[in-house]
Amino acid sequence: MAKVIFGAWDGNVIDNRNRKIYEIEEDPAFRDFDEFNPGNPIKAFFGGHGFFIFEKDVDLLDAALQHMERVARESCGKCTPCRVGTQIIKSKLEAMAAGQAAAPALDEIETIAEHIQSTSMCGLGQTATVALLEMMRYFREELLYQLENRNGAVRQPGATYLSAPCIEACPSRVDVPRYIDYIKDGKFTHSLGVILQKYPMAATCGRVCVRFCEMACRRTQVDEAVGIKVLKRFVADHEKYTTNDWFSAYSVPEKKPDDLKVAVIGAGPAGISAAYHLLLKGYPVDVFEARAVPGGMAATGIPEYRLPKEVLRKETGIIETLGGKIFYGRKMGRDFTLKSLYADGYQAVFLGVGTHKGKAMGAIGEDPKLKGYAFGVDLLLKINHDYIDRGIPMELGEKMVVVGGGNVAMDCVRSALRMGVREVHLVYRRSRNEMPADQEEVEGAEKEGVIFHFLTHPTRIISENGRIKGLELIKMELGEPDKSGRRSVTAMQGSEFTLETDAVVPAIGQQVEHGFLLPEDDVDFNKWGMIDVKEDALMTTRKGVFAGGDCVTGPATLIQAMAQGERGAEGIDNYLTHGRIRFNPDLRMSRLVHAIQPMIKKGVSIPIKHEYRVKVRELDPEIRKRIFEEVEEPISVDEAYHEASRCMRCYRVYSVITEQ
Amino acid sequence: MIGYINGKEVEFNADDTVLNVAKKTGHFIPTLCEMADIRHVPGTCRVCLVDIQRKNDSHHQIVTSCTTPMEEGMSVLTRTSAVRAKQRLQVEMLLADHNQDCATCIRHGNCELQDVAQFVGLQKTRYHYPHFYLERTQDSSSAAIERDMSKCIRCFRCVTVCREIQGADVLVIKEKGLATEISVRDQLPLGDSDCVSCGQCILVCPVGALAEKDDTEKVIDYLYDPEVVTVFQFAPALRVALGEEFHMAPGANVEGQVITGLKNLGADVVLDTNFTADLVIMEEGTELLNRLGENGCLPMFTSCCPGWVNYAEKNYPELRPHISTTRSPQQCFGVIAKTYLAEKMNVDKKRMRVISIMPCTAKKEEAQRPEFIQDGIPDVDVVLTTREFARLLKREGTKLSELEPSAFDNIYMGEYTGAAAIFGTTGGVMEAALRTVHKKITGLELESIEMEAVRGLEHVREATIDMGEGNPTVRVAVAHSLQGARQVVEAVQNKEADYHFVEVMACPGGCMGGGGQPRSKHAYQSSWQARQAALYNIDREAPVRQSHNNPLIIKLYDDFLGKPCSHKSHDLLHTSYRDRKRIVQHTMKKIWEEIEARE
Repeated sequence: MAKVIFGAWDGNVIDNRNRKIYEIEEDPAFRDFDEFNPGNPIKAFFGGHGFFIFEKDVDLLDAALQHMERVARESCGKCTPCRVGTQIIKSKLEAMAAGQAAAPALDEIETIAEHIQSTSMCGLGQTATVALLEMMRYFREELLYQLENRNGAVRQPGATYLSAPCIEACPSRVDVPRYIDYIKDGKFTHSLGVILQKYPMAATCGRVCVRFCEMACRRTQVDEAVGIKVLKRFVADHEKYTTNDWFSAYSVPEKKPDDLKVAVIGAGPAGISAAYHLLLKGYPVDVFEARAVPGGMAATGIPEYRLPKEVLRKETGIIETLGGKIFYGRKMGRDFTLKSLYADGYQAVFLGVGTHKGKAMGAIGEDPKLKGYAFGVDLLLKINHDYIDRGIPMELGEKMVVVGGGNVAMDCVRSALRMGVREVHLVYRRSRNEMPADQEEVEGAEKEGVIFHFLTHPTRIISENGRIKGLELIKMELGEPDKSGRRSVTAMQGSEFTLETDAVVPAIGQQVEHGFLLPEDDVDFNKWGMIDVKEDALMTTRKGVFAGGDCVTGPATLIQAMAQGERGAEGIDNYLTHGRIRFNPDLRMSRLVHAIQPMIKKGVSIPIKHEYRVKVRELDPEIRKRIFEEVEEPISVDEAYHEASRCMRCYRVYSVITEQ
Repeated sequence: MIGYINGKEVEFNADDTVLNVAKKTGHFIPTLCEMADIRHVPGTCRVCLVDIQRKNDSHHQIVTSCTTPMEEGMSVLTRTSAVRAKQRLQVEMLLADHNQDCATCIRHGNCELQDVAQFVGLQKTRYHYPHFYLERTQDSSSAAIERDMSKCIRCFRCVTVCREIQGADVLVIKEKGLATEISVRDQLPLGDSDCVSCGQCILVCPVGALAEKDDTEKVIDYLYDPEVVTVFQFAPALRVALGEEFHMAPGANVEGQVITGLKNLGADVVLDTNFTADLVIMEEGTELLNRLGENGCLPMFTSCCPGWVNYAEKNYPELRPHISTTRSPQQCFGVIAKTYLAEKMNVDKKRMRVISIMPCTAKKEEAQRPEFIQDGIPDVDVVLTTREFARLLKREGTKLSELEPSAFDNIYMGEYTGAAAIFGTTGGVMEAALRTVHKKITGLELESIEMEAVRGLEHVREATIDMGEGNPTVRVAVAHSLQGARQVVEAVQNKEADYHFVEVMACPGGCMGGGGQPRSKHAYQSSWQARQAALYNIDREAPVRQSHNNPLIIKLYDDFLGKPCSHKSHDLLHTSYRDRKRIVQHTMKKIWEEIEARE
């Protein structure tokens, strides 16, 4: 475990310089700071709140210089102290590191460093010189000693890394402040370009993302999170007529041999994202999709009023623009097998088959064959696929009860209203606070007139002649929080009541349909029924077969699936071309940043003018609850500029000095 | 709510910033980037630092007053030694990446950066790194506007004006770190871009980073060339603004002094663009009547403003048939001077040089349009802006306010009407045209000649004009600023509005707020009202107030042109427009390369 010899973080000073290394206590906070990559110890770590020195021989001037060089490079160049001050410090440190400047220069650097910290406009400048200042404040004699005893400049090995809380929160690690910067700069094309570096489904993500980034947004400590998602939708919609053309003449940096063919199973978010990154890397890619349309859960599980099919079709079309092929109506296990894929010359396979099998509630009398019984995912599929796409009429009855508290449940109740079901009930076993669905979805459903039953659990399905007549429910009560912090629920005996209904829709979870693999395929499932993969590369138990998305993680989010697709593509690239998993310094730095989080003081100390986030206009609930028209309206250019200006640009530079 | 500035109790509202409160209560805080009258608070210069102490907090903080909300019980100190030292360091840093070529700078004597250096008491600068700014873009590609990014201090006022006031949105920001600069969309030279040359960006630039292209040398060459006959014209809006360059009150009418000043400089013929403004009314008014009569292409848009013509050609080329074919007063002047006047005065037009003095930067570009050059001879040879003209006068040692006024003395083109005078303000062309159109339709002069319905400063104004019994009413609209223009165009294209006649001026306020006019520090349009009032006053005091009653216009038609929209006037006074819409083909590769270059 790495031991701090000296350092300071948010004003807390650690000074073990006078102790023997074996006398220094082990601090579990530095558990992850031993080695950068195998065999390469971390000697020093610098961040926006301070620094730690793990080995005595670190050249402090050079370490500070490397950190400041990155800061100076990343300055947005708009405010004076950060743009100019970091450059002045950089050139003064250069002179000192080269032995060309003496001690008084330190005072000047300190004045400027303090000035940058206290007067810069954004988070980058405000944290840029903190480590340097703490070093000068608490360990000045070390710097002076090194200054007097040096023989020219030394360049120590190391790495620097730029990140922000929103980036770290995003499974795809989209560079959010950068795409917002490009909006501020008036370059919507480049803003979208930043998003497209990560996945092709920008307009889709801009509509349905669950927004881990906004939860991490530091603007929440002032007023409300920046409308990161709505800005993403804005740039994607703004360029929607041309985006696909951007890719038409795309020439890959390095074309791969034609026989390095990759098969992607499933044209859902994970598969599309994997195919996209493989195509960008120059591999020939064929995508096999069981259904007639692309998008996977995004197409079948997300209703038209949240995500118009046209948007999805356009974005998945990028795969074809890039030269990939999508074969529709080709289901693995029915139309082809893993073995036949290998026989057809594919060298690697990415499984992104999703979780499309509904989970039963375990109620008495529950039988999927009952008329009026449908799993949430199946109901959505039917509505999206049969009714909206092909106009096949559907009879859903007068009353419906949907069971579950997630987004699928919300999609079911709101779609049912639009299909003309007169009375729609939602049953959820915990309270509203525990609902995993998006807050906006729950509010939308409430406004549209869905009847909610919280702390209620289905016990028995009442049917007659194979047709559902009602659902018996029981009231639940919340208990103490368990170890994971989630409160348990217990049934209140004797509180049973019955709802008359024509339909019961369980939307309490989904599973992988296992039939698509054969035992001899050697692809194992784990105890939760998901495909077993090695964490880093997403390779399954079968060599050359990779998997990602819901079929690995269990039902999760669009953004997680797309992130897995990208990682799978990287795993396949490593497998096919490099033969090993290559070290990714940015991912390693990201882990260090996560490890350091608990030490960071929260809060925004400077008073900031409240600027509330853009209000997204919506169709009137009375109108929209009868139609599948998109509910959320786009924001204007002026609104986008204003919303972008709310970003506090919480970039932080982190750097390490390493042995090699 | 109550707070404290320098120990004094101050009252404020919930959404006030510290800077607002300080301004309202008379506490001076030096600022550079902000511009209150366009609500521009980018917070980038970081000069307006103050010390704050929040209620129940012993801790002092130094913050920028422009971005910090004033809070109940907050105590603000503006002049502590720490605050002053930080302000000084800030300006010192600003100067470290600013090309300090002050003596030759176009903004010399009117520079807000110099001011702020004085306000903060900066006495010397320690940081001199020419490589910080020498690589930055110098762009002389536009006929109207010069950009020198080595002087830019990144206040972003130009971006706000171009994006929010004008809606042209031509300026973007490129690169990062020291290389950050204001750039032109799609990395084009300004001259090839969608810039309409309105010059509003120059009006707000606090330093010498944006300027009109300076053509004063050419004019001096002509003045001192004995072979050349110089014919000067100056625009309606010039005379009510030029005085500001000579410390005269805004709105002072210096028409007489301009005539004297030009004569003193050696001008051979001094005339007024107002004369051809009257001519434009005759042509454009007749054109409108023709379009109304023969079910022509309506609404008809005015064509006097080259910024607007550029905007339409570059953004709405499909609108071309709607734009009046009548040339602008400047161009009508040029062509009439080189034909009619040359003939009457017996001067070879090859020896004649027409020099116009305009409140406008786009006029420089207009004069160079191929449509206005016959056999290599331009109708208008040089265009000076109001600011350049002031510089020219100063270079020749002229003190404008001390000159004795004189009057126009040319017997062919030396008279104008009140209708022409108000061309200088938004709504003026419309009002002038309606006075004449009313007469043509009804045979009667308008009774209430001052048409309040088209006056005012709203970006889009509409009116319905009664044309007497038995005649259909005329529906008109007046738009100024390109935001206003876009609003009207889109309303017309979406069939939400049904106008017959639309006046558009690209600059907010019309020519009086033109991009070539004197600029004010820390304010965008501080002299507007005075300039507009002065123009309406000229009209009110004019003996003749309708273009069709200008005796020299009547004579011009009798002696030379025949009648409005005659064959001859078509050849000389009308023009055509081009489709200049730019189609951009982006590629992912290029976009990513640019993003990566910035990473």
